[in-house]
Amino acid sequence: MKRQFIIRIVLFLLALIVANTVLDQLYKRFVVHNLLNNTKDEQFDAYTGTLKYLSLGNSHNCVNTYILENSFNYGSPGENYIQSYYKLKSILEKPGKRPENVILFADISSFGPLTADRLEYNSYWIKYIDYFELAKIKKDRDILSKWLEGKFFSFAGNYKDIQLTFIYAIKIGKLELHNGYRPHRDFKNFAREQNRTKQARAKANIYLSKQDYPDKDILFYFEKILQLCQDHGINVILIRIPVTREYFEEASNIVPVDELYEQVQVICANYPNVTRFLDYHDLYFDHPEYFFDPDHLNPRGSDLFTERLKLDLEGLP
Amino acid sequence: MLFNSLEYLIFFPIVVGLYYAFSHKWRWALLLVASYYFYMCWKPEYIVLIMASTLVDYYAGLRMGKIKVKSKRKKYLILSIVVNLGILAGFKYFNFFGESVNLLFNQFNIFYQVPTFQVLLPVGISFYTFQTMSYSIDIYRGITKPEHHLGKFALFVSFFPQLVAGPIERSNRLLPQIHHRKTFNSQMVISGLKLMLWGFYKKVVIADRIGIYVSSVYENPTEHTGVPVVLATALFAFQLYCDFSAYTDIARGSARVMGYDLMVNFNRPLIAKSITDFWQRWHISLTTWFRDYLFFALPAKKNNKILNWILQRNILITYLLMGLWHGANWTFIVFGLIHAFYIIFGSLTKRYRDNFNQLIGLQKVPAFFNLYSILVTFGLLCFSLFFFRANSISDSFMLISRSLHFGNIIESFLDILKNKEVVFVILNIIILLWAEQIHARKNLIVMIANKPVIIRWSIYLGFIFFILIFGMINQQEFIYFQF
Repeated sequence: MKRQFIIRIVLFLLALIVANTVLDQLYKRFVVHNLLNNTKDEQFDAYTGTLKYLSLGNSHNCVNTYILENSFNYGSPGENYIQSYYKLKSILEKPGKRPENVILFADISSFGPLTADRLEYNSYWIKYIDYFELAKIKKDRDILSKWLEGKFFSFAGNYKDIQLTFIYAIKIGKLELHNGYRPHRDFKNFAREQNRTKQARAKANIYLSKQDYPDKDILFYFEKILQLCQDHGINVILIRIPVTREYFEEASNIVPVDELYEQVQVICANYPNVTRFLDYHDLYFDHPEYFFDPDHLNPRGSDLFTERLKLDLEGLP
Repeated sequence: MLFNSLEYLIFFPIVVGLYYAFSHKWRWALLLVASYYFYMCWKPEYIVLIMASTLVDYYAGLRMGKIKVKSKRKKYLILSIVVNLGILAGFKYFNFFGESVNLLFNQFNIFYQVPTFQVLLPVGISFYTFQTMSYSIDIYRGITKPEHHLGKFALFVSFFPQLVAGPIERSNRLLPQIHHRKTFNSQMVISGLKLMLWGFYKKVVIADRIGIYVSSVYENPTEHTGVPVVLATALFAFQLYCDFSAYTDIARGSARVMGYDLMVNFNRPLIAKSITDFWQRWHISLTTWFRDYLFFALPAKKNNKILNWILQRNILITYLLMGLWHGANWTFIVFGLIHAFYIIFGSLTKRYRDNFNQLIGLQKVPAFFNLYSILVTFGLLCFSLFFFRANSISDSFMLISRSLHFGNIIESFLDILKNKEVVFVILNIIILLWAEQIHARKNLIVMIANKPVIIRWSIYLGFIFFILIFGMINQQEFIYFQF
């Protein structure tokens, strides 16, 4: 009886492992964010020209690489400083891939604890992040479950990405990237939205919280990025991305914005390689039509912003 | 350690493997070490509280066992109760009473501040203290015999599947099982694993998903009116049920894999036909605890007659304390009082309500009458949950008043339908209620077990992957941990 039971359990576990492996591989290969990130990786590996600007960060990174020449947009969905650090570290380990400048986005949401805890898409990040080191630094054993997710259970809890993949395949089809920049983006016009303040409040509440702001782990990794760049002789350009007036006001109600940037300035003062801090947060306060939601520029806004950024960067030494 | 954590997924198979590898003689030791480790994963120093409670009740139990005259056993019972309630009061209620007294003093311009302490509430404190107290009370009453083996008694207090959120076991159920020599039973193992799987489904697919919507409303009470508030409260009833019953299922499943049978804690409470019926189906181990050790212990007679008003007073005391058991906040006290009111008012008006129902012929259509009773009971429960879930009494009243401002109902419904998460969770609630209904009539597990192996395994694998894909895999705590 016991032997028969053990045989049955072993067979069931085998079936479970096979089914899991199939699902895991399907997810890793075909889910849209993996497609996007892996394509960026491939493009970056194939990039041979002068790499004057390498921009990191999350969906706020809207640097149009058609406009800003000799640049590569290496931002990926939901990327925080922790992930940026490990990615940059990996890039710099490769021969011939040293950028002259790293563009880093220093938004209000970049420093929140909710951004820090948002370690998503681990099936992609597993090739970059040292989860064991991260677990030690964050003193959080649960980080190891992210490693497990990335390694074996990429699909776990990620039903939204599966859904998004189908929508993407139906609506957009082929993924087109130019030096990491995705030209086809949401053309929605935020100016046409009726409840802009409500949307802005909801968005601010997702990523910001009064408690533990700014997040100490995020600040730690922010500084690690600056140090890493300094060690490799790379300049850092910090940028505050344009946001809507509504979003800025709602965010300011939640977190102490001035104190944050004072703290950031103090950190940056120790790193002479931080050459510029370009603050564009209020650049389009009177132009909600340049946004598709409270804190993301639409393609029109991205183009205008990149033009402006290009002009400002040309003034750099 | 959370059941829905990676740690537990590693911890549990190791414990089970070792458990069956050990001889019966040493299994208690293995389970005791495992249980202490399980608890210490959260905050190691608080294990001292469990040990203190264990030692005091072990000693009190032994002493009471040697005394034949009941009245002479009393001092040891008092020792047990004072120590357990002292731990509970110190860690759970001290600050609440201190702050309430300070508030009262301020009202009368008395400038004295009762000090408060920054201590973390020990997880499961309300559960294990009640379990050990029931042991002492049972010995005092002569219902059970004292346990002489300290290790086995310590295991009774700290058995890891039910340590932090119950079910609150009775000594005469769990202690004999600890002594009983268990042989490997594949049916028990499989049935335990299935129960655990069902628990994971309720927790990560339903409860945690509902939690996001409910929190968005209850954490911002000024932002919402009408349908979203009502829906959030109704969904909270399901969240609470799915979250807590999931814990119980995983606890019972884990215990069953090792051959232990823990008590049933829920019996489809959300289809209760009256509030009394609800409490007979909800958190059964707690309600029976209060019934057996408090309600029955309260004096009910005057001049040798059972008087209605005394019974009603006892109901009020019992439910007030049951509300307070859930947490040190006025919201829980009000929650308890509302339920006491429901039960007292229900019993006082029962005759009139029955007559009225007969008059309008409601009872002639049993299906309709049942549905009507279920919906009314659910509505009453939801009203009390405004207090249970809100952060403060003022938030509760604000949400109640805002729930009445309906505005554009159609627009609100359309907004909700746009929220795919809410629609998905409602579909899952329907599936849950349907599955529980079928299971109550014919055992669903047996039905599936009788299918050919290919179909059976496909169902199990499909269900596992459904949970993995659609579950909120970010380790949300169980709600009842905070109690």
